[in-house]
Amino acid sequence: MTETLAGIDWAPLWLSLRVASLATLIATVLGIAGAYVLARGRFPGRRFLEALASLPIVLPPTVLGYYLLVTIGRRSPVGRAWESLTGGPLVFTPTAAVIAAALASTPFCLRAARAAITDVDRRYEEAARVAGLSERRIVFEVTLPIAQRGILAGIALAFARALGDFGTTIMVAGNVPGRTQTMPIAVYDRVQAFDYATAGVLALILSVVAVLALLVVARFERAPW
Amino acid sequence: MMRRAGWLLVVALLIGACRGGDAHVGVQRTDRGAVPSELLVAAASDLRPAFEELATRFAAATGTEVSFDFGSSGQLAQRLIEGAPFDLYASANVAFVEQVLAEGVGDAATRRTYAFGRIVIWAPQDRWTGWEQLEDVASDETIVNVAIANPEHAPYGVAAEEALRVTGTWEAVQNRLVFGENISDTQRLVETGNADVGILALSLALAADERGIGTWVLVDDGLHAPLQQELVVTAVDAEQAASAEAFADLVASEEGREVMRRSGFLLPGDDEVTADEVGAGGGGGA
Repeated sequence: MTETLAGIDWAPLWLSLRVASLATLIATVLGIAGAYVLARGRFPGRRFLEALASLPIVLPPTVLGYYLLVTIGRRSPVGRAWESLTGGPLVFTPTAAVIAAALASTPFCLRAARAAITDVDRRYEEAARVAGLSERRIVFEVTLPIAQRGILAGIALAFARALGDFGTTIMVAGNVPGRTQTMPIAVYDRVQAFDYATAGVLALILSVVAVLALLVVARFERAPW
Repeated sequence: MMRRAGWLLVVALLIGACRGGDAHVGVQRTDRGAVPSELLVAAASDLRPAFEELATRFAAATGTEVSFDFGSSGQLAQRLIEGAPFDLYASANVAFVEQVLAEGVGDAATRRTYAFGRIVIWAPQDRWTGWEQLEDVASDETIVNVAIANPEHAPYGVAAEEALRVTGTWEAVQNRLVFGENISDTQRLVETGNADVGILALSLALAADERGIGTWVLVDDGLHAPLQQELVVTAVDAEQAASAEAFADLVASEEGREVMRRSGFLLPGDDEVTADEVGAGGGGGA
């Protein structure tokens, strides 16, 4: 056991934590903004937009990966623009892994935040409005603080999902050791190498993180009293 | 209280991640100085045992660490064409090397044939019932699943399919076939008991012998087109390309050929007899 631990390459763990955290940051910003628009906005096509925003939850990760490859691949306008700006392709970089994880995890934050914001009693917002607060201050000082438990639960779920992404990541970021080989991909790689001992340790770490994330979710989803 | 702790956790995670990222990910390939510190190789998964040994020797001799993405040749070609930053591509056939070159990836002047692969019928000892050829596998009704690599993108899968068709056994096994993503994934299917028998690379059967697992028998190489394995340097950077060439030189050197031969490959310039001496083997039962 100690021999196994000593021989493990920990680069995938650090890479995964970094990728998942950056993806969670994106998921948090996009998720809360999207949730607010969907919960409080009244415009045609809102239901459709809401369904579209949740699509990554139900689509196979490989389908997401395919769409991403078409969108940010070397032959796409985005991919070409990136390449002319940075000198290298966007796909098969850690950045591509972050984009993949963010795409997969944003809906989890969005849905939780959407439910939490919808639950905020509008009378608080109206009271704040009567008291003369600007709309911006109402959002940031009334609505979002009241909804924050649900939002935190969503962030925890998004982080867990981002950390666990395999299918989308491998399609747009591949399995480049040290650059895009995240934990789930390292587990796959170790199984392919018949290195079940390392695969088991990595799988255990991912499982522990997932359980912790779900405990956080449960803690925040529980009613505050 | 709990909420504050939650937000603190989120912030701490983000700060930690950004700093940790610089320390770990950045260091991997930023220092592209005179001597490349790392070489990234996309290699067909039948090469795993041999290339990992050669990588250790290469690192000892040059100080350059070699990292691999082992997969099916077709999947690796697709990743290279999409822009994956590998320095060297070692395919299990010629066609995928031609494909990446046609897409403008790789330096055609660096192409070389480094080995010929062989396929074997393989199963764990407790499942082995003494099949001698593909016909025996096809007529064995106790076999529920036969694993081969996916012929869509894995050259060993193509060879397996050709051999099954030539022997007229394709129809008999077609409905029992399961596809591995690549040849080591195919071995995993059999080794874990999810398939009864597999058509694998000889290199992986020999590597499994070292772990004491499996029994196998060679499939006549007249039954399929030669698994002519080619490599090509795909690095853009001149220093990386030189380092990739150096690794390819090691594979082709007498030291490298010895490793490749021991790993179950036929080598260009060798008599076929050399590899046939390997015959059939395994941990017993054959």
